[in-house]
Amino acid sequence: MAEAARQALEDIGVDPERMELEWASAAEGPRFVELITRCVNSIKEKGPLGTESNEAEEDVKRKLEAAVEAASASKVRTSFGMLAKKFHKDGDYSPEAIKEAVAAKFTPAFRKERIAQEIKLLLKKGPMSITKLAKIVGSTKAELEKIVAPLIKKGILKEEKKGLALA
Amino acid sequence: MTQEGYNPRILGFFCHWCCYAAADSAGVSRYQYPPNVRVIRVMCTGRIDVRFILEAFKCGADGVFTGG
Repeated sequence: MAEAARQALEDIGVDPERMELEWASAAEGPRFVELITRCVNSIKEKGPLGTESNEAEEDVKRKLEAAVEAASASKVRTSFGMLAKKFHKDGDYSPEAIKEAVAAKFTPAFRKERIAQEIKLLLKKGPMSITKLAKIVGSTKAELEKIVAPLIKKGILKEEKKGLALA
Repeated sequence: MTQEGYNPRILGFFCHWCCYAAADSAGVSRYQYPPNVRVIRVMCTGRIDVRFILEAFKCGADGVFTGG
């Protein structure tokens, strides 16, 4: 879960180190204090969310909204569940194996869904060309065309003179 | 680059049996630590989903700390 969250954050341009996963047992009060202090200081250094990507606040917010929708999508959640199956079968829970498997199975599904959601949010303001969309979501025209094709087929988006638009 | 007077808002998911208890014990022992973490107690960190992390950032958190 943590690795999937980190790779998802990286996909939308948020520093994945803003998310920390640590362990402190009930008897380790002082260690807890150390962990929290370290975490707060590290975030203080990084600055508010959005500092690292130099993007406007509304762009960061839009990307996060698309990310939340993507993480809730059934295809993405299924790929996440299949990962658990794979680890259980292979028995390899090393960090490297986890990183590799998440990058191979979860992240592409998440990225596709995130871009699709972000496109829907952007097109709410009006039609936009594919090239411009690709630039804003951080993708290429080729990748976008692959993602957009099934949406046009399903009737969620449509092609207009100005570019793509919500149907 | 630290900004003057910047107070980060961090969301903490603490597991009831371990991290939350550790925080409790730290409080009872009068240890001082930065107040920037808002705590959500969960019964187990296994309950936490990728969505929660992303939603936390969407709602304005600058950082997320998950303690198991």
